[in-house]
Amino acid sequence: MHDPSVVDLSRLQFALTALYHYLFVPLTLGMSFMLAAMETVYVVSGKAIYKQIAQFWSKLFLINFALGVATGLTMEFEFGTNWSFYSSFMGDIFGTPLAIEGLMAFFLESTFVGLMAFGWDRLKRGQHLAVTFLVALGSNLSALWILIANSFMQNPEGAHFNPVTLRMELTSLPDLIFNHDAQAKFVHTSIAGYVTAAIFVAGVSAWYLLKNRHVELARRSFRMAALFGVLATAGVITLGDALGFIGGQAQPTKLAAMEGLWKTEQAPMPFNAIAFPSQKDHVNYGVIQVPYALSLLVTHSLDGTVPAIDELERTAAERIRNGIPAVSALQVLSAKPGDADALAQFQAHEKDLGYGFLVQRYAPDVTKATEADIAAASRDTIPQVAPVFWSFRAMVVLGLCMLAFFVLALIYTMRNNVERQRWLLKIAVCMIPVPFIANETGWLVAELGRQPWTVYGVLPTWMSASTHSLGYMIFSLIGFVSLYTVFIVIEMYLMVRTIRRGPDDEHAPSPSIEPQAARLAGQAEG
Amino acid sequence: MELYATLQSIWWLLLGVLLMGLGTMVGMDMGVGAILRYVGRTDMERRVALNIIGPHWDGNQVWFILGGGAAFAAFPLIYATAFSGFYVVMLLLLWSMIIRPLGFEYRSKMPSPRWRNAWDWALFVSGFVPMLVFGAAFGNLFQGVPFHFEWNLTSFYTGSFLALLNPFAILCGLLSVVMAAYMGATTMMSGAEEPIYGRARNVARATAIAAVVLFAIGGFWVHGMQGYTLTGGPAPGVPQTPLQGSVSVAAGAWFANFHAHPALWLVPVLGFAGLLLGFLAASANRSHLAWWLGAVAWIGVIGTAGVALFPFLLPSSSHPAQSLTVWNASSSKLTLGWMLGFALVFVPLILWYTSWAFYVMRGKVKADHVAADEHAY
Amino acid sequence: MKTFLQFALFMLIAFVVILMAITLGEVGAWYFAWLIGTTMIVLIAAAGGMLLDAQDEQAARKAAAAARHD
Repeated sequence: MHDPSVVDLSRLQFALTALYHYLFVPLTLGMSFMLAAMETVYVVSGKAIYKQIAQFWSKLFLINFALGVATGLTMEFEFGTNWSFYSSFMGDIFGTPLAIEGLMAFFLESTFVGLMAFGWDRLKRGQHLAVTFLVALGSNLSALWILIANSFMQNPEGAHFNPVTLRMELTSLPDLIFNHDAQAKFVHTSIAGYVTAAIFVAGVSAWYLLKNRHVELARRSFRMAALFGVLATAGVITLGDALGFIGGQAQPTKLAAMEGLWKTEQAPMPFNAIAFPSQKDHVNYGVIQVPYALSLLVTHSLDGTVPAIDELERTAAERIRNGIPAVSALQVLSAKPGDADALAQFQAHEKDLGYGFLVQRYAPDVTKATEADIAAASRDTIPQVAPVFWSFRAMVVLGLCMLAFFVLALIYTMRNNVERQRWLLKIAVCMIPVPFIANETGWLVAELGRQPWTVYGVLPTWMSASTHSLGYMIFSLIGFVSLYTVFIVIEMYLMVRTIRRGPDDEHAPSPSIEPQAARLAGQAEG
Repeated sequence: MELYATLQSIWWLLLGVLLMGLGTMVGMDMGVGAILRYVGRTDMERRVALNIIGPHWDGNQVWFILGGGAAFAAFPLIYATAFSGFYVVMLLLLWSMIIRPLGFEYRSKMPSPRWRNAWDWALFVSGFVPMLVFGAAFGNLFQGVPFHFEWNLTSFYTGSFLALLNPFAILCGLLSVVMAAYMGATTMMSGAEEPIYGRARNVARATAIAAVVLFAIGGFWVHGMQGYTLTGGPAPGVPQTPLQGSVSVAAGAWFANFHAHPALWLVPVLGFAGLLLGFLAASANRSHLAWWLGAVAWIGVIGTAGVALFPFLLPSSSHPAQSLTVWNASSSKLTLGWMLGFALVFVPLILWYTSWAFYVMRGKVKADHVAADEHAY
Repeated sequence: MKTFLQFALFMLIAFVVILMAITLGEVGAWYFAWLIGTTMIVLIAAAGGMLLDAQDEQAARKAAAAARHD
């Protein structure tokens, strides 16, 4: 049997290492394409300042990239080390996109990132630009395959359970790849990375403008970041809505938790703008509602409804009852493969096998499960509402703030006088942490909202973990926390140091237009 | 042979190819890390050494990642059982490996000698430890690992952490370390001038001989060791679980495949030949040839292990019948088929652009260039 | 005030565009949209940078012309 605290620690360790990894990934996804845009201007216009711009930001890109690669290794190991049952049960499906990621994307990204850093003098301009684009393409394709794998966990399509090999097996790779959840999630995540990079570049450029340093580099970077960011943010919001809609259909429990829906309501449903959900009492406290809004938001119509938690728990209890014979038949099949009676019983109840596993947590012999066990297991099907509810709201609010910021930034930079708007520049610097927080809360909504499943409706989290001792888990957790703490300190220090030093001014080309620099210097003094 | 069994055998081979690629490409970088403090005495010498592999270590490391990913996709039970069973060892491998990207990228970002010295040690650890664990893992495959499965294939590892670091495993680990050091040394011979060149040449000659000795000792050791033989259970190509196997254990059984097919003796011969000729090539200052002969040696050595173990992938010492084999631990026919399709398209592409990257960055790395390039490590 | 109106206008445009995209459908050919969108974002950002140089040159010419006038 699994020790519940080992499962909890495995979850904690995975969440910490994934959230940590995800601090660095979005910046890589977006910055690589921003570098490509900057270098495109260099190649097209031939102005040396753009080479300096591309080289300076690529220095920051590489500091971030190193830690992204390092912490990504952890993720590759962790499925096997800490989630071994998950890995053997789902590996036939889940391993495929991971391996293709290596073949198609990670090799591309990693091989060319070396040329991107070291190849400035060895490659022609056009060749180097192509290399930069390949790095950007590779890193985003990498995200694509990882998110295809993740979307299988959210909305398992293209697979079935094989009672002979006792595991899930692939039935269609195209179904896996073109899973609607994967499509929306990839685009949402990838361009959330663009937003992250745009805010980062805009924020650092704003800091230079405030200090009146590297003005020519900063003005151009700010302009490009504002354009890059405003388009990307609009895209993120659009895709976020699509993802919410698709995810809500595939995972009604996640949607109910995101919106804090305890009791089924008539259409048009009101939207809980603010609420303090209580898991124990199945009710929200301190609610502020917007009438009609929820029906509009989640069903895009006034007469649509979605199931609430009370109804979802009732459905879950029925499915658990139906899943129990599936689990007991499987136990027979494991010892006697091909037993006809067991196979018939299994096939009749196959679709609720995962729900049968859920109750096994309380009744190791599922045929002896009591009503109390079934009730406890059906309560388990609802994720922790409050953190999902609040993470979701934080993500949305931060997304809208970033949109407003980019619109403002765009107005001033297009008028070509952003360097005089010190208040806006100060806001830009303060915005730097915002996309990172939004990214992390997005991860929390997606993955906390999926609980209690690793693969929604198929495999419960409690079964998925490896059968380690508590001591092993504490050892590894302490190891990760101390190592990662040292890493982040070093990384932040080097980032800040590199930003403070700025581009190498000795080798810097003189600004293309001297009077402009003089005008700016005059402004700063005045 | 049936299609499924053919696919399983192909993926066994491809996994082997990836592990050989790992040994050659990752081994080269880790070897440089492991001998960095010896071949580079001054800061600039070390920077030159690091910049020889600087443009390539990241791409090379993907051989490692792809090895893991392919094991996950093609043999999920192996990935799940081995990674969780070897928990502490895997963590040591992981933790030593993840300081490596930082070592490359961050080492020369600060002028302080203490900072750089600390990262040099980190690079040493992240070169030495992963290759030691890599070899030790093979050593444990020969001896079997204590694990078993519940009815639903939940795996339980019942051994201790220290049992994984037994004498034979350490011997295999050392073999892997010296072969990596050999690859690193020949790489540095190709990319550096004196005095790094001469020191790297010494390392290459010494490690080639050490590898020959360790490989030979390993062969004799395995000869007396308890080996595993498949005696029953479902045939190859039939979907099955490890719960249905039947396995016997007897001394010398790991040589059964060689006795059955004497042509297979060529595989270990390849290993010895690669190392011995590599020694001669390094002595004759033919560094590129020496590097390629090292790659041949990796093919021979890993091939020898694969041939001896086949069809076993991870034998269970506590429940031999539940040992994992090519036939009972693989993915479904459909998954193996799709994966093969992707591999056939992308592996040639990878080889093509990797060669191009090496071609672009060819030639010797010079100290004055390292000092002038702000992107250099 | 002018800036505020501009801001409100742009925000409105953004919301209308987002709303249009949303009503067009949740289940779109998103992979394809990503390809097109990414290309567009990169090119527009690049064009924005080049426009800045053009604006600078224009400002410099104006300043030069004004200086000759004096």
